[in-house]
Amino acid sequence: MPENTPYMVAAYIVAAAILVGYAVLLYRRTLKP
Amino acid sequence: MRLLQTGRWITVIGLALLPAVYVRAISFTPVERMQGAAQKIFYLHVPAAIWTESAMVLVGVASIFFLFLKDPRLDRFAEASAEVGIVFGSIVLTTGPIWGKPIWGTWWTWDARLTLTLLLFLMYVGYLLLRGAVTDPGLRARYAAVLGICGMCLVPFVHLSVYMFRTLHPQPIVLKPSAPSLPGSMLATLAFSFVVFTVLFVGFVTQRYALSLLREQAAPHA
Repeated sequence: MPENTPYMVAAYIVAAAILVGYAVLLYRRTLKP
Repeated sequence: MRLLQTGRWITVIGLALLPAVYVRAISFTPVERMQGAAQKIFYLHVPAAIWTESAMVLVGVASIFFLFLKDPRLDRFAEASAEVGIVFGSIVLTTGPIWGKPIWGTWWTWDARLTLTLLLFLMYVGYLLLRGAVTDPGLRARYAAVLGICGMCLVPFVHLSVYMFRTLHPQPIVLKPSAPSLPGSMLATLAFSFVVFTVLFVGFVTQRYALSLLREQAAPHA
């Protein structure tokens, strides 16, 4: 079985960062529309 | 504003469930023998891709109805859906290459599915740039609706590109005419992830819609 766990970890971190980042951005924008 | 609060709560629920998807995918889903752990990127990539395509379909459908009914709510919804589509598209276009590097040996190739997905993403970017460039609200909504309908027409080509062209990208294993070719435990993880991505999509779109509404109320002719 190929050992490529770092790629999976990187993808999971990137996806979470995009989702959480957008949620925070949206929250900040809705504070001062 | 109630709609904004509702959107925030839906988003909070989605974000709270996201770690559960990660735990289920990493610890409670078997590792695929040929691809190893990198295959687990699939549980994020596929739901994000489904919503990237669906968001553009929603933009297109709302745009068609807007051109007939001239209801500003439809324009607002299309704008919200397009912006959230960019977010999910970013996930698709980052997790895809991260999977491609260990499996294909390259981050990117100008394969039909990849190229068309990039084109769809650029269509979203163009849609939002157009909205930012036109100051007259009536014209902006009309121009954006036309571009949104064009974007929707691209979606079937993105989805069917793996059948229409010789591509490196894997064939659909869930969204296809026959039964999903995936073991039950993997399918359950994918379904759970899809539900969480759906909750996030709804939460984001609701908040973004409410934001447009607040902006219009603050400056009615902007």
